[in-house]
Amino acid sequence: MSSLMWYIYDFARKAWADAFTNAHTSSEIAEKPERFRDFPKVNKEYCIGCGACTVSCPSPNAIKIVRDEDTEEGEGLTYPVINPSACIRCGFCAEVCPTDPKTLECGLNHLILPEFNIIPSKRQFIVDDYLCIKCKKCMKQCPVDAINIVNDKLVVDQLKCISCGECLDVCPVNGAMKGVFVENLQAQKDLILLCVNYLEDYINNKEEDLRALQIDGLLQYDVPLSEIWDKALKIIPDEEIALEIITNAVNRLKIRVIDWDKDKCKKCQLCIPDCPTKCISFDEGEDTIVRDKDRCLRCSICYQTCPFSVIKYFIAKFSLEDGKIIHTTVKASNLNENIFME
Amino acid sequence: MIVPIGPIHPALKEPIRLKLHTEGERVVKAEIEYGYVHRGIEKIIEGQTWQKGIYLSERVCGICSYEHTQTFAETIEQISDVDVPVRAQFLRVITNELDRIQSHFLANSTFFKSMDHETLFMHVLELREYAMDSIELLTGNRVNMGWNVVGGVRMDADERHFKPILENLDKIEESFDRVRALFAEGPALALRCKGIGVMSKKEAIKGRAVGPIGRASGVKEDYRIGHYTYDDYFDFKVIRRNEGDNYARTLTRFDEIPESISLVRQAIENIPKGEVRTPANLKSGYAMRRNEAPRGEVTYMIETNGNLIKNISIRTPSIGNMDSCAKYMIRDVPTVADAVSTYASCDPCVACAERVAITNEHGKTAIKGFDEVI
Amino acid sequence: MLNAIKDVVRKSSIHVCIVNCGGCNGCDVECVALLSPRYDLEQYGIYVHNNPREADVLLLTGAVTEQWVDNLKRVYDKAPEPKIAVAVGNCPQSGDVFAQEGGHVHAPASDFIPVAAAIPGCPPRPSEILEAILAVGPQAIADRGREMK
Repeated sequence: MSSLMWYIYDFARKAWADAFTNAHTSSEIAEKPERFRDFPKVNKEYCIGCGACTVSCPSPNAIKIVRDEDTEEGEGLTYPVINPSACIRCGFCAEVCPTDPKTLECGLNHLILPEFNIIPSKRQFIVDDYLCIKCKKCMKQCPVDAINIVNDKLVVDQLKCISCGECLDVCPVNGAMKGVFVENLQAQKDLILLCVNYLEDYINNKEEDLRALQIDGLLQYDVPLSEIWDKALKIIPDEEIALEIITNAVNRLKIRVIDWDKDKCKKCQLCIPDCPTKCISFDEGEDTIVRDKDRCLRCSICYQTCPFSVIKYFIAKFSLEDGKIIHTTVKASNLNENIFME
Repeated sequence: MIVPIGPIHPALKEPIRLKLHTEGERVVKAEIEYGYVHRGIEKIIEGQTWQKGIYLSERVCGICSYEHTQTFAETIEQISDVDVPVRAQFLRVITNELDRIQSHFLANSTFFKSMDHETLFMHVLELREYAMDSIELLTGNRVNMGWNVVGGVRMDADERHFKPILENLDKIEESFDRVRALFAEGPALALRCKGIGVMSKKEAIKGRAVGPIGRASGVKEDYRIGHYTYDDYFDFKVIRRNEGDNYARTLTRFDEIPESISLVRQAIENIPKGEVRTPANLKSGYAMRRNEAPRGEVTYMIETNGNLIKNISIRTPSIGNMDSCAKYMIRDVPTVADAVSTYASCDPCVACAERVAITNEHGKTAIKGFDEVI
Repeated sequence: MLNAIKDVVRKSSIHVCIVNCGGCNGCDVECVALLSPRYDLEQYGIYVHNNPREADVLLLTGAVTEQWVDNLKRVYDKAPEPKIAVAVGNCPQSGDVFAQEGGHVHAPASDFIPVAAAIPGCPPRPSEILEAILAVGPQAIADRGREMK
């Protein structure tokens, strides 16, 4: 009974009666208030086509730059177009837009001062301390004075850098100034793997040359890049980026190549237990020793174990200057000294 | 018999499978299966700049989204030794506490809905709308606000924003006492909440329960104490109870709301003049930082090299809360309906908790529990 | 004549089931806010109970994750005809910020089930969802009911 009294008392209060009689639908339930930050508005005539908005958008496919067709009156306009089913209404594109008055307006974000905008660019420019000869040509060339000397080393100030690339062009040492691509890291790794596999297969196929090599001798080949160029473009469709990644990778590459002479093998099976990744095995049916190339580390333990000099070990270096032919140099590894001493 | 409360259920907002072992009508044990919401956010952030990373980190969870951006920004500021201006710190506190108010109201209203008490569900949601209006006025959006940046907040606020916020807080306070009394002293609800889903202090520490759920069982941990802004400029009380049942958890959340309202009022009164954003010189390094989100303690561990983020790891409070709910709270509960409302009272946020997905060789994805992952 | 009566009945009483396919909960929270006394969805005859077996409208939120690839079609098949599926938010339409290198979501949701309407925004404001549902929902169900003959 007391609980019933409690409920009756609660509903007989003035506050409840007020709310009940004044119940009405608020006026703004189907409209958006002004304080809400809606999709960005585009003013087509101010756009200069710099691309800062597309680079800084966090969501893929939300914004892209289109160009109208040219008419008799003048050139076609370039302006950004926003896809509402992918745009997250953050207003970042309105912040980074460099024109005045701004092309994009989103909420109040277009009033933010430009000194806080760091465009997240595709490339990051870094100085390699070991190779830099401190000639300071990059410091003089930089249009925004972003390169300074800190602790006796040249350092690029990432806040000021606008990624124009002039320091990279003017640096006299190959490799001291690096413009590293910071997107699509997985695709870059796949491309480098493709080059390495192709070059290693090429050298492994020249068996007679490898087996006839003397201790001080050198082998030289010219491998054309066109063999893998189509596959490379499938991984990274941009020609300039793909060529640059391949050039940088190939110029620094040093591979260890193993040559396995099956005719000399006496099947003593001493190499099998010593292999650290267990990639060598004996096939009973075929009566041969089999090496799994994907698991092989090229560590040279099998070469040191084999008493019949079946395995030979080589080092290969490469150079790609003109973008067409990879110059390859192969020489016998220093470990080979003992076997040639017979 | 095992009763599965499946991914789609009227009492659940998010997909999760809750398996209840029953004997007759009593529920003896419970298990939780995760795995439906994993999107791979930590892998996407690797290799990007912080500008894009902040918009991703606030979409880890949409209910407690503000605290994720604040912790992210503070971690990078700790790596690069950036001093945030005082006015920006005050603005961050205002938004943080408003977000906490709306999250606690939402959690309590879900609890009432799971017990089918529609009156209180509607009353509490009405009060929540005033807090959402204030957030929208200050930042431009209700959820996923995009308000924090490394070095401060994005835009300034002035009298035009503060006066309506104070009016909204007054409106919340008018009806708040009455709604709280409807729950705490109304006779019907107390029978269904007191003494159900009890978790003692030792079990809370063992199961790693944090936030209001841990504080309702007696664990005294609040990460707002120890944060440089709250220590220097504000003072507030930490709410703690001892019983550890559903009633205590809901009341802890209700009692934290007046504390948050007084913090917002202190901040608006004492806010100093100055700028709200400083440019940041980014360095490379590693830092770890934890903060108090509405559900507990959220930890961010970030490793950067200059402008880019190399590695990031996010640990959210819901992992420990939901695990301790399954192990210690739902044990010998009278009916299946009570088990569902116990689960709703521990404030689960599944989107926060899904950081790992394990695929076995048949291609099916499932995670069983917190211990298997660690 | 009978069709006109069926149209009136289908338009004024709609049962909704919210299916969260793995999103961040922002859109779910805005859908729950629609039930609050300020926006009051129930005054239009729309009743939100999360039971797919009795639903007329399926509201999809969230990007489709690994586990939902098989289950989304099963849930869609459980609902009886006439039914429509409405995608709320950006995630079921394009994957939003998650469809990048490193994330694994299978966007869009229209690869798995036919989607009749879509509401853009991340998350869309409750007033936007209300506008869209009232403009499109009842008429779409009535049309689908006539189609099923």
